[in-house]
Amino acid sequence: MSLLDDVRQSVIDGDMQSTQALVNKAVGEKMPAEQILNGGLISAMEEVGRRFECAEFYVPEMLISARAMKSGLAILRPHLVAAKVRAVGSVVIGTVQGDLHDIGKNLVGMMLEGGGFEVIDLGADVTAEKYVAAVKEHHPDLVGCSALLTTTMPRMEEVIHSLREAGLRDQVKVLIGGAPVTEKYAADIGADGYAPDAALAAACAKKLIQEKGK
Amino acid sequence: MIQSSMATKREIIRLVLEGRKPPYVPWSCGFTKAARAKLEPYFAPIELELALDNHLVKLGSDIGFFTDLGDHRVRDIFGVVWDRSIDQDIGNVEGCLLSEPSLAHYTFPDPLDQRFFAHIPEKIARYPDRFRVFQIGFSLYERAWTLRGMQNLLMDFYVHPQFVRELLGTIADYNITQVQAAVKYDIDAVYFGDDWGGQHGLLMGPKIWRSFIYPVLGRMYRAARQAGKYVFIHSCGDVDELFEDLIGIGVNCFNPFQPEVMDVPDLLRKHRGRLCFHGGLSTQKTLPYGSVDEVRQETRSLLKLGQTGGYIFAPAHDVTGDVGLENMLAFIELIQNQPGYGRN
Repeated sequence: MSLLDDVRQSVIDGDMQSTQALVNKAVGEKMPAEQILNGGLISAMEEVGRRFECAEFYVPEMLISARAMKSGLAILRPHLVAAKVRAVGSVVIGTVQGDLHDIGKNLVGMMLEGGGFEVIDLGADVTAEKYVAAVKEHHPDLVGCSALLTTTMPRMEEVIHSLREAGLRDQVKVLIGGAPVTEKYAADIGADGYAPDAALAAACAKKLIQEKGK
Repeated sequence: MIQSSMATKREIIRLVLEGRKPPYVPWSCGFTKAARAKLEPYFAPIELELALDNHLVKLGSDIGFFTDLGDHRVRDIFGVVWDRSIDQDIGNVEGCLLSEPSLAHYTFPDPLDQRFFAHIPEKIARYPDRFRVFQIGFSLYERAWTLRGMQNLLMDFYVHPQFVRELLGTIADYNITQVQAAVKYDIDAVYFGDDWGGQHGLLMGPKIWRSFIYPVLGRMYRAARQAGKYVFIHSCGDVDELFEDLIGIGVNCFNPFQPEVMDVPDLLRKHRGRLCFHGGLSTQKTLPYGSVDEVRQETRSLLKLGQTGGYIFAPAHDVTGDVGLENMLAFIELIQNQPGYGRN
């Protein structure tokens, strides 16, 4: 196996120490940072997402792989900056107002980061005003809203409404998800995308970025 | 009025647990504080619990006891701080009590705290005809993650497996001690709550569940079964792949039976006589978003499915505050208007 394959495999295995050692080795061997990112870390997280979708992986495997990926990315980041490698896109994510459940949102954040996105995580219990302020400050491509409860789902529509009121709706794509959320609900409230889980959220985000670029 | 069947609620629950035909489908419905605030004025001056006429009487304290810390925060007897500014019924865990994967500096609370048991005789005397269920909430995996943090615990299965086994084993010891004290009272069942499922499958996956959780569950459930008590369990989410395992370690009744994640009619027919179901009415879709007619339609089909036993009607979760009063009354009226049921 090549060094890049080893980086990829160490992330899939969730082996943080090996990932760090292998990324350091690849950097030391002057492998381009973008190649390590795309061929190693991002490729690995795509495979993690695929395995999650076919029920080979579950949340623990996804978490330890994401932890390994993040540790490798931390080593790689200054080299990516130096090489002026740009993120696939940027995403502001949060759990909507009135909802403190954050593990689903955190998993989405990890899979987005593993997909090459810059992720701005606003945390949980995020008001529509905070989303609007974050969009003004960070100019993301996407906004991601999560809700676990039927009582907090309507807050997603408020976020979309507030973005529209602030004249920002056309600048961002809105992606929503969470246990009670459905594709129909996403369409009803005017969201651009819906994902039933973290792995598909990353795939959906990439699709929305492509649509935005057209 | 008397029940035309002359059977007590306790007897009717026993019938359905055995998969036998009851005189009518029994029920035990829960409501959050916000939902109760809508229902209570409707039934006043009759106390809500009496008006609902549930068939289970809940004993013990499913989520334990709390010290008020002010500012909508409470501390449970395990030392975990809960933020109740939003979820006023349970709350959300604040911080992480076991910041390191070790129990070296942690002492479990007293499982024999009299507050778990002192009310049992009085409550049984108040509802003598109801089926008596001693409840232990957050009974294993959930207790573990409230102490350690959910993401930490899920990674610990791989990163610190021995610690997870020690933690789960100690939680089980605590619960077993409590069960052994509870079965000295005239109770019928022990109800173990623990959420393992997400909307699509198990959060931790079947391999980890069977390796870490299943053997410990077997030990806990055995404590109840050996004392001649039924075992009820609760796990949110898509967990029906575990039913054969659960039946094998002595589970008699499963809640919440969420229709959004499992095939309610199919599972009821398949397991009747081996596993009873409690729940089934959609709380993610029909109750908050459906019409009164849709609530009635779903309730009627559940009652029809339950006519031959193996089923206790309930919304699949404590009804939340976004459900309209008319939707709550729609299912309450139907269950209480069943032929064969008559209020004592």
